[in-house]
Amino acid sequence: MQTILDVQGIHTFIGQYHILQGVDVRVPAGSITALLGRNGAGKTTTLKSILGLTPPRQGKVILDGREVQGMRSFDIAAMGIGFVPEHRAIFRDLSVEENLKLAERAKGDYVRKRDFIFDLFPDLKRLIALPGTSLSGGQQQMLAIARALVADNNLLLIDEPSEGLAPVIIEHMMSVIRQLSAQSTVVLVEQNFLVASKLAEYYVIIEEGRSVRSGMMKDLVSDKAAIHRYLGAA
Amino acid sequence: MQKKSSSFFRNHRASFILLVAVVLLPFIVGLFEGASPAAVWANQGGISKFAEGLGIEIFILALYALSYDLIFGVTGLLSFGHAMFFAVGAYLTGIALKTFALPLSAVIGLVFLASIVQALLFGLVLPRVKGITFALVTLGMASVFHIIIMSSELGSYTGADVGLQGVIVPSFINPANERLRFYFVALVVLVLIYLLYQRFVNSPTGRVCVAIRENEGRAKMLGYNTFAFKLAALMLSSFTAASAGILHALYQPIVSPNVADLSFTVTALLIVLIGGVGTLSGALIGAAIYRLLDFGLRRYIGENASFITGAIYVAFVLFIPYGIVGTWRAKSFRIAEGWRRLLAAFKT
Amino acid sequence: MSTFFRKNLLPLATLIVIIIFFLAAAQGMNSQDFVITLLRGLSVGAVTFLVASGFSLIFGLLDVLNLAHGTLFMIGAYIGWTVFVRPDTFVDLLTPLALALSGFTLRDVYPLLSDRIRLSLSMKRILPWALILVSALLFILVLPRYPIAGWNLDNYAQSPVTYSYMADQGTRLPPPTVAFDQISPALAIGGLLLVSLLGSFGLSLFDQSARRSPQLTWRSYASFVILLFIGLITFIFNDALTNFLLGLNANWLFFIAVIVATLSGAGLGALMEMTLIRPLYSRPIYQLMLTIGLSAIGVQIVQAVWGRPEFIMPKPTLFNGSGASCPATNFSSWWQGNCSTILLLGGRVRVYNEILIPIIGVLVLIAVWILLQRTRLGMIIRAGVQDREMVEALGINVRRAFTIVFALGVGLATLGGALAAPSMGLSNAMGESLLLDALIALAIGGLTSYPGAALGSLLVGLIQQFMIQYGQIGISIPFTSLVLKPTPPIVPASTVLLMVIILLILPNGLLGKKE
Repeated sequence: MQTILDVQGIHTFIGQYHILQGVDVRVPAGSITALLGRNGAGKTTTLKSILGLTPPRQGKVILDGREVQGMRSFDIAAMGIGFVPEHRAIFRDLSVEENLKLAERAKGDYVRKRDFIFDLFPDLKRLIALPGTSLSGGQQQMLAIARALVADNNLLLIDEPSEGLAPVIIEHMMSVIRQLSAQSTVVLVEQNFLVASKLAEYYVIIEEGRSVRSGMMKDLVSDKAAIHRYLGAA
Repeated sequence: MQKKSSSFFRNHRASFILLVAVVLLPFIVGLFEGASPAAVWANQGGISKFAEGLGIEIFILALYALSYDLIFGVTGLLSFGHAMFFAVGAYLTGIALKTFALPLSAVIGLVFLASIVQALLFGLVLPRVKGITFALVTLGMASVFHIIIMSSELGSYTGADVGLQGVIVPSFINPANERLRFYFVALVVLVLIYLLYQRFVNSPTGRVCVAIRENEGRAKMLGYNTFAFKLAALMLSSFTAASAGILHALYQPIVSPNVADLSFTVTALLIVLIGGVGTLSGALIGAAIYRLLDFGLRRYIGENASFITGAIYVAFVLFIPYGIVGTWRAKSFRIAEGWRRLLAAFKT
Repeated sequence: MSTFFRKNLLPLATLIVIIIFFLAAAQGMNSQDFVITLLRGLSVGAVTFLVASGFSLIFGLLDVLNLAHGTLFMIGAYIGWTVFVRPDTFVDLLTPLALALSGFTLRDVYPLLSDRIRLSLSMKRILPWALILVSALLFILVLPRYPIAGWNLDNYAQSPVTYSYMADQGTRLPPPTVAFDQISPALAIGGLLLVSLLGSFGLSLFDQSARRSPQLTWRSYASFVILLFIGLITFIFNDALTNFLLGLNANWLFFIAVIVATLSGAGLGALMEMTLIRPLYSRPIYQLMLTIGLSAIGVQIVQAVWGRPEFIMPKPTLFNGSGASCPATNFSSWWQGNCSTILLLGGRVRVYNEILIPIIGVLVLIAVWILLQRTRLGMIIRAGVQDREMVEALGINVRRAFTIVFALGVGLATLGGALAAPSMGLSNAMGESLLLDALIALAIGGLTSYPGAALGSLLVGLIQQFMIQYGQIGISIPFTSLVLKPTPPIVPASTVLLMVIILLILPNGLLGKKE
């Protein structure tokens, strides 16, 4: 199977803190891969290092066969990565529509993708003129995902999509992510193991800045001891 | 990084050598001119007296910059009103000595009280404003103070825009006759307060102050009353700056209203940045460099000196990125790290 | 609607209190004084706004407190003065400027060149410095020999003060002719071009991130040729251009001066951001030191080039008439006589200071507002103010937006400087006081809020002018017969006090957003 993203032994510092101390992630094209681990293990930093937002000092990030570490992050993102950050990062001063328009990489992206996005998230259509501030948590999460879909991205990095959402909305979110994985590869950071195990085919466990275990999700689900050890009670 | 060593002296060898050099400096300078140490001791004029004067100015600036480094570098409060701390000390000393003829000990007590009061005044706004807004509010308070001492209504006390002149300095410390003594008094005050600051920064209280700088929210979450710690740092800083003000009023023939100006706060900021933010020793080194640079350039280049000074600041920022002490530490840290890596490579 | 009131209770209450104070203060004034003071306040507010808005745009997006902003405002005033009073100097400067810039347009070509050069590692380190050094030496050698008509600070008859006075009288001096000093024109021009090529190549060797694409190289060749062409054309037609500008109506010349000041400010801003500010984004505090240093350098350059004495820039003739029909009583009589003042409610209002400047202030306010709200760049700016990282993660080159915003901000400041020169006069200290005003205005209005910059500047301007007015007529305190006359220091103190009070009630200013 083809690998779309290959992270090889990256080390990342934030200030003087050595956050990532050797993380390897291989993401097969068209799959959903979950990054698992406890709080503060370095999952979010891994996503940001892939994008060059916290550039790794050592190691390689290979995207579509090209080494991208050290490139400017907007150039990396423009290679076709959609990023849905933790806490959503909706632009408050922009309306919902402007939030989406901003994500255009080529003129007309938004108009082209509008119907597709509104099919996925019918709610957004009626909120289109509202400022980003007035959305609820679930709506913000929808907008954050929608924003990553405006441009033609073949890799989506989604950070904590279920955080702070009601169970009904989580269900919706999961079905959307499953739908999206038909067209693009998804890398998911998820605290909620139940959600992650239902969605992902592959997993990587990160512990104290190192990737310690990876494989097929179905193998992990059956290994109760490992779940307990790495992720606490599941 | 911290090593337990048997000898206190060995750990601070460089500092001690420097201290001895500063103590001996007036005498050594005197030797260049042919004046014997005894002549220097007797406060005869000449180049060594001049060097003492420059030294005193550096000590005062260093004290002032040190106090700024405590609130800005260590605690992380950006204040644009720091000059007021200094000016209150200087003006209060001048007025108390000149108009009310108080004894020096009473003056020091008075300044101590005043410095606490003004720290409380700054502290009053602490819970409400943060970051750049705090800087602007403090700028506002200091500007109001500046306007008050400049106003003609108080001219008989403050000397308005001319400045406070004719302060009667107690004869045992008069900088005209007893300059060497003044030099040592200023040096002792500086060293004592520097040691106190080192102690403070390494104490639990100081650590919390650093934590506030790094992330106030987290410090709060850990259960610290961050306001109290910031206020403590402000008080210590205010008192130190006011002490520098006392020395300034005693040493200078005129206390100019410029010491309450924004540009005098900027001076402190520049000194701290030159030396290295939050390093304490950087404030001392920065003060020496700042004053000598200013003096040298004015003397040899004249009017256009500030062009060079400005260019030097810009070059500083670009080439000595974290101030002298900060960059030095980062470099030696990196060199040490490199050594360790090299040794590790040999072992395997 | 009610939620709007509930949410904004505190700012609204503060505004209402300010308005009540304002109305109470206006009680003791006759309508004539009131209108004139109001217009003066608007004028000061408009100039403050031009500085404050640029400052706030830069601070909002880039997190840079540009303390050199006041100095840049001052430089704008002096540039405007030069173009307006001494167009010959301006024309003489065009050729060297175009040549000096031409090398930098080849930025994207240099990597292709440096890839070809095979050098040892130590040579590679030395090469950029050597190139820059040679370039600087050549520059020092060539530029003084290149003829630029100027003024003479040591000779009063040829000082800026005199030129300014003459221009006000309507005579622009025939330019003293300057010739090449022991150098042939071709050599001088070739030398300047070489300076630019060597210097820019040297600088490009430091920057490893330059991109290499055929499209970019084509474009940079084109702009190189265009700049070279401009340089040569302005050289060949130097005299013709100078005579054209000298013969031009002073109103048009003033217009050109303002445009040139704005554009050179924008250029200066872009240059500053790319070379000096960019390496410091990770060390925000040191930006303060850098901008303070730059500010000191700027003041010194102005002192060295234009001298220390203050002088006034003449007003364009449209606002400078004092014929029989002046002061004008209405708009059409002003238009006929080009009067400098107009009668309004029995008081004399200076047309340039108190009518034109506020109008331009409002026009700029609207123009930048449209830029922010209606264009993609504005969208990037508004989003970037909140979360730079996320904008970058969308694949947008935020750096380019940074450069544009810095250029825009500085351009606004120099525009303000050029406009304010005829009303405020030119002095070495004009920048510093205006920066302080602008800071106070921003603190009142909200540091990163664009409407806040406008509101704060307006309040600062109005309060200053009303305080000055009260200094003359005194405030009668209600219910007593006391008359309080504020002394001059109260003027700065009043705005400062207002700032402190507002910040204590609303830490983010009137229109600022909560963090």
